[in-house]
Amino acid sequence: MSVIQCEDLSKSFGKIKAIDHLSLEIEENKITGLIGRNGAGKTTLLKMIAGYLKPTSGELKVFSKEPFNSLGVSANTMFVDDTLAFSDSMTLVDILSNVAPFYVNWNSSLASGLFDYYSFNPNQPHSNLSKGSKSTFNSILGIASRCPLTIFDEPTTGMDSAVRKDFYRALLKDYLEYPRTIILSSHLLSELEEILEDILLINHGTKHLHLSVMELKDLAVGIRGNAQAMQSFVAGKEIIYQEDFAQGSVYVVIRRKLVQEQFEQIRQRGLEVLPVSTDDLCVYLTATTKGGIDDVFKRS
Amino acid sequence: MILTTDSMKPLYVQIAEWLEGEILNENIREEERIYSQYQLAEMFTINPATAAKGLNLLADEAIVYKKRGLGMFVSPNAKQFILTKRRSLILGQMIKELVMEANRLDVSESELNRMIQQVRKENGEGQL
Repeated sequence: MSVIQCEDLSKSFGKIKAIDHLSLEIEENKITGLIGRNGAGKTTLLKMIAGYLKPTSGELKVFSKEPFNSLGVSANTMFVDDTLAFSDSMTLVDILSNVAPFYVNWNSSLASGLFDYYSFNPNQPHSNLSKGSKSTFNSILGIASRCPLTIFDEPTTGMDSAVRKDFYRALLKDYLEYPRTIILSSHLLSELEEILEDILLINHGTKHLHLSVMELKDLAVGIRGNAQAMQSFVAGKEIIYQEDFAQGSVYVVIRRKLVQEQFEQIRQRGLEVLPVSTDDLCVYLTATTKGGIDDVFKRS
Repeated sequence: MILTTDSMKPLYVQIAEWLEGEILNENIREEERIYSQYQLAEMFTINPATAAKGLNLLADEAIVYKKRGLGMFVSPNAKQFILTKRRSLILGQMIKELVMEANRLDVSESELNRMIQQVRKENGEGQL
């Protein structure tokens, strides 16, 4: 069953199209990573799903209802980002106790367990928290609410690497105990890909890829070595990315299935076959800039 | 075990190989229940779908089998099967790479044999 369905969805801000004829489905009880470059439309899409923004055109259904102005969707959805605003008169412990009644599945023992684990001061106001601590506190709300649809928009902004690891593990553990549909948007695909099942890559407001992490991992390989030796293997094939090094050495990223049978021959020619990190691959696939950063310096 | 995401080996293959290792060193014996996808997901902080694919890899090779409603169990003779498979496939591949690297470095066949025997001696396995 799919929790989110959108068909030909668009959202414009004035003349700018943030989401451009996007169609997709997200299935129940999967953890999906929403990946895209800055300005790709990630936050706009998530805010429409959560019912914060009204689509300009197209159809969007969450739990089979239009999310905008829907109490039903709002009661079953948790949206966590770094702009969650709370009244300054409330302390952290006030926030936890006041948020709880809004969510039927709220797990107060988990919330207080995480709160103590991160050593928060119960009497501190939310606005006094540092950037990383704010993200950490908000992530507690996101996990403990146990909403059927839980959305995290850049949840790890400002967190140090220890807290990020703890957050991913806490989220996964609670998901195993209480499965639900989770969407995480992030720039740091490499550190969260292990807990994801699916990846949705968007670019310029449209869907670029939607597949399982396992399929993404198998999508491409890198080959490095002498350009001449490389030629016979990559000639006529679509090259996803290419980088030239000194002395005729070159690095090429190519679809794995095109060279799958030739790994042995490639190695025998003295070329290296290397894995491509999902992070790099997503950047190559959505490259909008011409060439690489090095070219900027060549021109000047 | 620490899983690596920058290896040519997908995560689910690493999970399958780790489980094979557990069977080889008899941490899990034949006819015993093997970890569930959820236990593996918890142990390694990975998505349960990835863990399930690792288990399915073993099921495809009949190293484990499903008991309806009870989970996956280690097949009889699983250990022997893994040993045979690793000897022919993995060791075979390693030797191929070893020979290729030796050729690249101009190491002669007798020199290579001598190096292998040296390592075996240091490990106290004596000479063949």
